[in-house]
Order: sequence, then C-alpha cells, then structure tokens
Amino acid sequence: MHRHPQPRPVGPPRWATYLLTRLSHPDTHEEVQGDLLELYALWVRTHGSRRANWLYSLNALKLLRPFAKPRYVSGRRSEQYPSPFFLNLDMLRNYLKIAWRNLVRSKTFSTINVLGLALGMASSLLIWLWVQDELRIGTQYPSAQHLHRVMEHEIADGRIVTDEDTPGLLADELKRVLPEVVYAANMAAVENVLMAGTVTTRQKGLYAGADWFRLYDVPLLEGTTQTANSTPGSIAISENVAKVYFGGVQQAIGKTLRFDDWQDCRVTAVFANLPANAPEKYDYVRNWQDFLRQEQWLTHWENSGPTTRVQLRPEADVAKVNAKLKTFLKGRNKDINANFNIELFLQPETEAYLYGHFRNGQRDGGRIEYVRMFVGVAVFLLLIAAINFMNLATARSAKRAREVGVRKVVGAGRASLIGQFMGETFLLALLALGLAVIAVAVVLPSFNTLTEKRLVMPLASPESWAMWLGLAVVVGALAGSYPALFLSSLSPVRVLKSALRVGAGAQQFRRGLVVFQFVLSMVMIVGTLVIYRQLHYIQQKNLGFDRANLISLSREGALIHQYQQFKERLSQMPGIQQVTFLKSNPLYNGSTSDGVRWPGKDPTVAIQFNNTSVGYDFVKTMNLKLVQGRDFSPAYGADSSNYLINEAAARRMGFANPVGKPLTFWGTPGTIIGVLKDFHFNSLHVAVRPLIVRLIPVKQPDAGVILVRPAPGQTEQALQNAETLWREMNPKFPFNYGFVDDDFARQYRNETIVGTLTMAFACLAIFIACLGLFGLATFTAEQRTKEIGIRKVLGASITSIIALLNKEFLKLVLIAVVLASPLAGYVMSRWLEGFAYRIELTWWMFALAGTLAILIALLTVSFQSLKAALVNPVKSLQSE
Amino acid sequence: MKRAFLGEFEEIVLLTVAVLSGGGDEAAYGVTVTQEIEQKTGRAVGFSTVHTTLQRLEEKGYLSSQMGGATAERGGRRKRFFALTATGRKALVEVQQVRAQLWEALPPQALQLMGY
Repeated sequence: MHRHPQPRPVGPPRWATYLLTRLSHPDTHEEVQGDLLELYALWVRTHGSRRANWLYSLNALKLLRPFAKPRYVSGRRSEQYPSPFFLNLDMLRNYLKIAWRNLVRSKTFSTINVLGLALGMASSLLIWLWVQDELRIGTQYPSAQHLHRVMEHEIADGRIVTDEDTPGLLADELKRVLPEVVYAANMAAVENVLMAGTVTTRQKGLYAGADWFRLYDVPLLEGTTQTANSTPGSIAISENVAKVYFGGVQQAIGKTLRFDDWQDCRVTAVFANLPANAPEKYDYVRNWQDFLRQEQWLTHWENSGPTTRVQLRPEADVAKVNAKLKTFLKGRNKDINANFNIELFLQPETEAYLYGHFRNGQRDGGRIEYVRMFVGVAVFLLLIAAINFMNLATARSAKRAREVGVRKVVGAGRASLIGQFMGETFLLALLALGLAVIAVAVVLPSFNTLTEKRLVMPLASPESWAMWLGLAVVVGALAGSYPALFLSSLSPVRVLKSALRVGAGAQQFRRGLVVFQFVLSMVMIVGTLVIYRQLHYIQQKNLGFDRANLISLSREGALIHQYQQFKERLSQMPGIQQVTFLKSNPLYNGSTSDGVRWPGKDPTVAIQFNNTSVGYDFVKTMNLKLVQGRDFSPAYGADSSNYLINEAAARRMGFANPVGKPLTFWGTPGTIIGVLKDFHFNSLHVAVRPLIVRLIPVKQPDAGVILVRPAPGQTEQALQNAETLWREMNPKFPFNYGFVDDDFARQYRNETIVGTLTMAFACLAIFIACLGLFGLATFTAEQRTKEIGIRKVLGASITSIIALLNKEFLKLVLIAVVLASPLAGYVMSRWLEGFAYRIELTWWMFALAGTLAILIALLTVSFQSLKAALVNPVKSLQSE
Repeated sequence: MKRAFLGEFEEIVLLTVAVLSGGGDEAAYGVTVTQEIEQKTGRAVGFSTVHTTLQRLEEKGYLSSQMGGATAERGGRRKRFFALTATGRKALVEVQQVRAQLWEALPPQALQLMGY
C-alpha cells in the first residue's frame, strides 16, 4: 500500500507514525492511526505540541503489535482485497508473457542487447579461463606454499642485475647449513640427442639435484624419489620417452640411453608426463654430479649458471631465511668485495612465473601486467555491453511507460516493478550467457592455438557454473538497475495522460554512457596500433647484423671435434658464402663477467662485460660492421689471445682508440684488435651492454652454434648442402638447423600474442559499442519521424537531415576521442617502457585511431539517418 | 451459570460505549470513548489502554463494530464505531444486579459509617 505523507508544518513525530504504519496490528491499523491523529490534534490544543508529541509517541509504541497476523474472522476484513504475493504464479506468467512479447516485438533491439551481452560475456569468459590458467602456474604443487627459487642480486658498477643464475654447489650447501631448508636442488635445462636401439631424437631435459622429484612432487610411475636420479649415470625419463624408446614404462627400467653419442645413462625411474601448464618442460632428469663433472667451472663459488630451488619447513620464517641468504655468499665467493656483491634471496614459486621482472633489485611486474591488462579488458567489454543495454532500455522507456502506468494504477508497488524489470534483464543475461558459453566452446581451440595453452571449458565443475551464473547476475544487475529504477519511478498520472517526455537528465546520462563506451574503445584501438607498430619496429629493426637467411646449425656430435673439416668442406660448396662458429646464442647472450682488466682501470669499479667466443669469419658471416681494426684471421698467428670489443665496451672503458691496447680477460693477457659497431646480442627489452669477443681456435673441440651465411638467393641450396654434409660427417645426429630470423620472431612471441589478442578485443569492443550506437540511432530516427517529415515538407534537403541526425552522435564520439587520447597515451607509454628500443608515441596514432572511431561511428549512424531521411513525408505525416 | 468475567475497566468501557451509543449510531469510537472516560471518571486513561480493551470486549462478544465512511479529517482514515451486543447488555445488567443485591445486604450501621 502506498501512502504519500502529507507535508504538514506541525505533526506527530514521523518515526512514531512510521512505526505505527509498519508494526501496528494489521486488522486495526487504519482506525488506530486515525484515532491517534484526531487525539493528537486535541492534545496539541489542550496540552501543547510537546506534550502531544510525547503522548502520541507513547500511545503509538504501546500499540505496536509487530508479530500480529491479520485474521479474517467474522468478515471483518471482507471489504478489503488481499494484496497478492508478488511472486504469485499468475503474476509470474504475466511477467514472462510481457517480457517475451517485448522481445519479439522489437527484434532489432533484442538482438542488439543479447548479441552485445553475449559477445561481452564470451570474451570475458575466455579471458577468465586464460587468467585462471596463468594464476595457477606455480601453485599446482602440493607444497607450493613452501617452495622457493633462490635468486641473485648482482650489485656492481652502480646497478643491480637480478637473475636466477646461482653457483652450482649452492643447493647442497644451503641444505647443509640452513636448518629451515627441507629439500634443495640445483637445476640446469639442457637439450640432447638421445639414442637407444634404432630411435634417435632430440629431447629437452634437466640436470637436477636428487631432491628434484620431492620438491615438485612429480609422480613416479616406476622407481622411487630417493633413487630416481641420485647416483651418477642414472636418469629418470618421462612416460613419453619411455614409450618411444622402450615401448612401455616397465620395459624402460634398467635400460641404457646414449646421450649425444657420448655418454650412457641407465634408466632408474619413469615419471608421469608433465601437465600442459608446467612452467618447465622436460622429458628427462639427469644426475647433478654428472653435470658438475662436465662443467667443472660451476664447482667454483665465483661462477653462476644453474638455478637453485628449495623447500622450506612449514614453520620457517621466510624473512629470517632471506636475512641469512643476503650474506650467504660472503666468504664463499672470493670475488665479493666492497665494489662487487651478490645477495641471494628467495622468490616464492607461486610468484616466479608472474612476477619475473626486477628493476634495481625491486620486483617490477612481469607477466602479471598482461594478466591485469586483460582483466581490465574483460571488465571494459562487459561494461560496454551493459551500457548498450542501459541506453537502449532507457531510450525506449517511452514504449513501456504506459505499461508501467497501468500496472501502478492497478496496484503494483515500486518494488514489484523493479523486480519485474530486473527479472527481465536477468533472463536476457542468462540467454546471453548460454550463447556466450557456446561461443567460447567453439572459439576455444583457436584461442588455444593462439595463446599456446591448453584451456578447456570446465563444464563439469559446479564452481565454474556458479561463477558463470554469478557473471550473469552481475551483468544483469549492472545493466538492469538503472532502467528498472528509472521505469519504476514514472508517475502514472503523467505517463497515462500524455506521451512520456524523457527528462534532460536521462538524456545526459545516456550521452555520458556513449562517450564512456567510445573512450574505452578508442583506448583499445590506440593500444592495438601501438603494439603493432612496436612489433613492426622490432621486426624491421636493424640489429647491427644481418639476420635474414642466416642459418644456424647446432655444433654437436662429431662436429664438436671435426668443426674444422666441416667448415672447410661446407665453405667450398655452392650457395655457401661464409661459415663461422659462435659459442653463445646469437640472439641471447646471458654470460657476463667482470674478469676484465686493462691498464688504467679503476680497481674499485667492477664492470660487467657480456662475453662470447667465436670462430674465424665471425664478422663477415654475421655482416657486422667494424668501426676500427680487423676481424680474427688465420693470417695472424696469435689471435687466440686477442680480443674484439663493441663500442659500448670502448665507451665504458674510456678508450677513444682501443685498437692495440692491452687487455686481460679471465687472466689471459692479450690485445684489442678491433671495435665492433654496437649490435644487439640480447632482446630489445634491454640496452646494448659492453661485449668482449675472443677467438676459439678451429681445432679446439667445443659445442655451440655454427652460423652459415648463404649466397644471396641460394638459401635453399645452402641448406640442402649443409644437410648433405651433416649426414655424411655426423650421421648419428638428426640434422638440427634453424633460421636466426625465426628464432628472433619467437623471442617476441608474447608480444605478438598480446598484439593479436588486443586487436581482437579492440574489434569486439568497437563492434559492441557500435551495436549500441546503431540502436540509439534507430531509436532517434524513429522518434523524430514526424519532425523529419515536416522539415522535408518545408524544404529541407536529404543531406541536411542526415547532417542533423549525425551531428548529435558525432559530437559524442569526438568528445570521447579527446578524452581517450591522453588516457591511451599514458597506458601505452607505460607498456613501451618495457622496451629499451621502442617507437615514439606520435600524434598520428591518436589521429588515426580517432578518425577510425569517428568513421565507424558515422557509418553506423548514417545507415539509420539515411533511411529516416529518405522516407516520403506523406507517409510519415499521414496518420496521427 | 457460566459467564465471562467482566473486569472493572472493561465494565467502565462497556458502560461508556453504552452511554455514547445512546446518542446515535456513530458516536462511540476510540477517541470519544477515551475522552468520555477521562471526563466522567477524572482518571487519565491512555488511548492505547482503551483501544486494547475495546478490542478485547469485541472478542468476548460484548461489542460489535463497523467501519464508518471516509472522513475529511484525520488524514482521511475511517473510524471504527462500536455498539453493544445483546450479550453485552445482558452482562452489564447482570453486573448491576449483583451490585444491587450486595448493597441491599449491607447492614445499616455500615451504611451510616460510609456517610449514607
């Protein structure tokens, strides 16, 4: 029952009246209220208003019967209708029928609403699956809470470099010294050619400490965690490898696997294949002592390379362990002094994947930024879709205003109207959800290919269904609340007497929402543009060497010893221009050292130099530029103690003419013979650092990369020749080659994926926003049919009418473009900061994105405007 | 003889309704009953007490009630008018008779002490 309190200057206390209306006996509350009001008037006259207020309140309180139930005895209430329960079955049926009729009557708007919502939901479902998978990485282990990676801050030369590289003896030492450590294992990832019987394939694997299987709780199908890889020469292999090489898990135990045609290992355990989202991918685990025996240099505390993983006791205080680790290497690593320090610290395994970046010793984001970004995108898309719904519903409220009026007159309360409209929205949201789930199921395989994940729709888990329903409810509430509040607030008298005039406030609100939608879309368009420009920039960037068509072969097997013959024979084959050897990956050189001395060096400064070793013809094969001096050459006998440096190194050392200057590297005195123009030997995320290159004599056995420069246009032939020669000289190893170009593209795989995703979502965003705009334009054109008719009768041209209709929307999009530009600029400059080499944000990107947004909006609106402008005024004006 | 017990205040309210409804069909409702009792007995009775008593008397069947028409005053709310039922009248008469018998039985000395 609805009662509008009459404004009275003097009246009984409101609260008492309110309580009385609410809580007095339902059978008598009318007469009680009346009586008390009458008495109140009397009391005011006889006792004054203060006393009257008091008496009134007192009596009201005494008359509260909060638990009384109305009784229908002796016909006392027969003169009143019972007010029906608002979820009465008949009412529900009516609501559903009306909702259905409304849906069907305005097909365009219903389609726009459902489609928009479904698209928004589908993309956020996809993103949700992706984010969930990202967040789960590193947390899937049973003891994940106690797993940590040991990291290093290398503090030298005024900067802090943080990485995972640690000394090779660290794990065992930590376990021995720190009581908090339960398990600890060093680990180094490798790739080898494995042979057994007739099978020869290349596999990725690990050398790892004996605790590895206990740390990560990798389930073993055969063998025990104690003995899996604990003795030299032992190896644990994956189920896959066991099946490929030995035909089964049981058969594999005790068998021998040959590594790189050089070492034999005995299979002591078989572990289950790793899950798709495991952060490390490996198919075998070898013994750690074997690794240290091969890599003697790692038994010195001064050198770092492998990673270290530990599990702490549940009760251990991580802060205390970190405090101990900070100075752990002091006294062990003899290089540590006042100018050079290495501090160890723990990074929780659960964070390692998402928070991989460090800047100046502080955690500085990483993949988590992409996770956050896409969560933002998901929210944006949902918002845009919800706004469409709100806009169309309020714009079209005139159509339903009469219904609201009639319902109110017949006795519907505001609450039940709100319930009705919200319910309709929820139904639509549910419909959209159903469509979205289907859409996601359809798109998921391609999404998986794109993101290199193996996501599945968790259709069987009740939690995800609850979550999806939650999504529908949230979206429904978001989209439906404003229309429901707005429609239910209409006054029946106004609505039923004349056509509804929507107030300026509602119109303003709608415009604001359109602007908001286009701001979001515009930000995403700019984002796509910038990411693509940056990727393009990277692809086109001159790295300082010619990476096009450069073939890389792995120097392995027989080639370790017979490189010289290989090079000589290959160089004479047709299609081959140059052949050289490089110890490190041409695109990623992670080896740094401060073991560089030269006369005049400030002994208190420890400068980190990247370093690598190369064969003859390095400069020519890579197409590097020499600024000064010459390349290594067999014409000079003693080149093995000479060095090439890059410009960055020359600058850092303070040499204007470095050629001929003496230099000592790792204790070997020599001379600088040339200066290389700076080239990129690491990703473009970091600046070019000082580099020292030394020569490896052709006869010295070594493993690494053989780089082959084919003659122009003869890449195909060069590759064929290389393969023929490989098969002849290195028959036991499968031909293993790659193009540096491809590897380069793979380095920016993450960025490429993000670029593609951003573009897809930007397209979706603008599409959904345009759907809304289309709906609004349709509505406006419909509303102004008569106006347009009159204008045409009075002589308006079609152009002027289109302009009239378009102007309104164009203004909104323009405002959005202006608002979005600084926002997009800020967001994208943050993203670009992650690259040491990057494009500049320029005005044309914003101009292009803005023009694009305006054009798309214009196109959307014009369709309707044109249709409205072409209508014959006779038709639009003939009936009233 | 089985009959409902009539409390002292109930008796007064019942009597008042009887008095008021002698002046017309629409004379006895919450407000007038309260005022009448206050004037006639000089005691300050709360409206809530009167209202509750009226309800109870109706439940016991001594009173009947009917809603009046809409009013211009009191916020447009209707009044509930009370009238005695036959049972109510009988109950009042019985109470009166019991009292009378008891007075009759009073010895003259006692009457004199009371000032009669």
